[in-house]
Amino acid sequence: MARLLPAGAALELSGAIAITGLRSFLGTRLAERLLQRTPGLRVVGLDVRRPYRLEGRVRFHRVDLTDPKADARVAEILERERVEVLVHAAFRRDPSPDLEYDHELETLGSLHVLHACAAVKVRRLVLASSTALYGPWPDNPNFLTEKHPLRGHPGAHNVRNRIETESLVAEWRERHAETDVCVLRTCWVMGPSYWDRVTAHFARPAVTTLLGYDPLLQFVHEEDALHALERATLERHPGVFNVVGSGVLPLSTLLRLAGKRALPMPAPLWYRALRWPVMGATGDPPEAFYDYLRYLWVADGERGWAAFGEPVYSTKEAWISFASARRLRRYR
Amino acid sequence: MSDAERPETDRMRRALAELRREIEARLGAAAPAADASSSVDWMELFESLRRRLSTLGMSERSGEVDEFGMDEVVVRRAEPLLDFLLERWWRIDLPGIDELPPAGPCLLVANGSGLLPYDGLMIAHAVARRHPAHVRPRFLVADWLITLPFAQPFLARLGGIRACRENAQRILRGGGWVVAFPEGVKGAAKVFRQRYRVQRFGRGGAVRVAIETGAPLVPVAVVGAEEAHPVLFKLRLPTRALGLPFLPVTPTFPWLGPLGLLPLPSKWSIRFGEAISLAHLEPEAAADELLVSRLTSELRERIQALVEQGLAERPSVWG
Repeated sequence: MARLLPAGAALELSGAIAITGLRSFLGTRLAERLLQRTPGLRVVGLDVRRPYRLEGRVRFHRVDLTDPKADARVAEILERERVEVLVHAAFRRDPSPDLEYDHELETLGSLHVLHACAAVKVRRLVLASSTALYGPWPDNPNFLTEKHPLRGHPGAHNVRNRIETESLVAEWRERHAETDVCVLRTCWVMGPSYWDRVTAHFARPAVTTLLGYDPLLQFVHEEDALHALERATLERHPGVFNVVGSGVLPLSTLLRLAGKRALPMPAPLWYRALRWPVMGATGDPPEAFYDYLRYLWVADGERGWAAFGEPVYSTKEAWISFASARRLRRYR
Repeated sequence: MSDAERPETDRMRRALAELRREIEARLGAAAPAADASSSVDWMELFESLRRRLSTLGMSERSGEVDEFGMDEVVVRRAEPLLDFLLERWWRIDLPGIDELPPAGPCLLVANGSGLLPYDGLMIAHAVARRHPAHVRPRFLVADWLITLPFAQPFLARLGGIRACRENAQRILRGGGWVVAFPEGVKGAAKVFRQRYRVQRFGRGGAVRVAIETGAPLVPVAVVGAEEAHPVLFKLRLPTRALGLPFLPVTPTFPWLGPLGLLPLPSKWSIRFGEAISLAHLEPEAAADELLVSRLTSELRERIQALVEQGLAERPSVWG
C-alpha cells in the first residue's frame, strides 16, 4: 500500500539526495520510492558494492566508509553532486563475527560521514537508527520515550556501535545548528520482503523462546518504516523519533496467530549451550539476541506518529503480513 | 445465453461440483473421527498434552492484550477465583468504598503486606466489582517480582505492571486507576513482629505522580493480609542464585513445599480513606523536594491511622 505524501513535500529541494548504504534494504527501497514518486529528484548512492535493480537511475559512487580517507572522498562527492539531504543507512543488518570491521563501519564510518556533512553543510541529515538501542532491561518502563537513555545490551556489539554513533550525531548536532538532524529509531521490521536474523528466527515453524518469559513485542511494517524514512528525507523534521507500529502483542500470541510452535528453553542452560556456536556466527553471546525475547523494550510511538502519520499496519497486521508471505513462499 | 458464454459457465459449474465433492470427502473423513472420540481419543489427548507442554511457562490463553499486557479473557476466567478469595476465603470488608471518586483517574495508595501481590489483586478486584464506575485498577508490582520468570507473564495478564513513574503516569493520563504500594520491598518483606507498621515511602513517587497528573490520592489500608502469610524470619544467604531478595520462612513455607504458598484464611478489611486532591498544585511542584516529602509523610500517617482503625475494629485475626 503506497501512501501519498503531503502535497508539495519535495518542491523546496533543489539539490540531490544522497543515501549511504544504498545496498541495504532501507537504502535500496528508499531510493526506489523517491525516484518513482517524486519525478525530477536526483538520488546519489554510496556503497561498497553496486545495488540491485537501480541500474542507471541512481548516480552510484563506490565508497568504502572504513577507509581512513573516506571523509574527504564523501565530502568531494557531496560537493560535486550538490547534495542537500543525506540519509545515513550504512549499518550492518545483522552482526558479523568481524567485530573490528563492524566497529570501523558503524561508528568510524558514521564519523567520516558527519565530517563530510560538516564540510559541505548539508541542509538535512537523516540517521537510520533502532529502538533496539534502548536495550531489553527488566527495569524498562512499559513504553520507552525518545528521552529514555540508550542502554543497549552489554553483549550486542552492533547495538554498542550504533549507540556510539547516536551520541556522535547528538554532539555533532550541537555544533552544527544550520543542519536539521532527524534520527529515526525503528523497531523490529516485519513484512513480506524484509529479511534479517530476527525474521529468520521467526520464520521457522518452531520458534525457540525462553521458558517463563512472554514479553510484549512490537513490530513495524516495512511500508510504514519506509514511509517515515521517506517523509523524514523530503520534509523538515528535526529531532529524534521512534518509528513503531501501533499496539503490542505477547510473544505467545504472535506464535499462535502464525500457527507456529513455541520451544521454550530454560535461559541459563540455553545460553550456555548456544554460547560458542552463536559467538562464531555473530560475534556476540546468545544473550545479545535472546534477551530481546526476554525483557520488555517497547517504544512509545506517539511522537513519530504525530510527525509522520499514523502507521497503516499495527503490530499484529505487520506480523500477519510477514507470516502469511512466508507461508505462501513455501508453496511456490 | 450466447454461445461464447457457455464454455465459461460450464467450466464454472464443473469447478463448483469438484469443490463440493472435495468438501464432502473431507467432511466425510472428519465425521467418523468425531464418533470415535466419544470413547477415548488417545491421539487427541496426546496432541493436547503436547500442545500444553510446548507452551509450558507461557500464558496459555492470552490473545489480544491491552498496551500493558492485560488480557480480558484471562481476567474474566480468573474472576470466579478472585470472587471466591474476596467473599469466601478472606471475607473482605470494604468500608469507605462508596466514597471513592465517582469518575476520572485515581491513584490508590496502600500499605504493602505479604510477599505475593494478593493485596493488589484484591484491591483491584474489589474496586472493579463494587465501584459503580467498574474500572479495574492496575496494580503496581515491585521489580523483583514482576521480572521473575513465570510470574511476569502471569501478573501482566492479570493487570499487574512494573512499579515505575512512567507506567503510573501513562495509565492515569489515560483516565485509568492505579494501585501503588510505595513501601516497596520493605513493605512486603516485613517480618511478623513488625506487622502493620507502615514503612518509609520510597522517594515520594506516588505524590509526585499525583501532582503531575492531577489525579486524586486515596489512602487505602489493608488489614488481615499480614496474617495470610506471616513471615517469621527471612533467609538471605542462598537466595541470590534464585533472583529473590530473600527467602521468607512462614509457618507453612517452605515446610509444606508449594502447598505452603497457599495463604491462610485470615479475615481482611480494605479501608478506603478520604481522597486527597492535589489538583490545586502546579505540575512544577513535583520538583519541590520539601513539599513532596511533607505530603508523602502526611499520606503515610493517614494510611497508618487507617490501619490502626482497622486493627481496633476487628474482633480477631480470623474474624
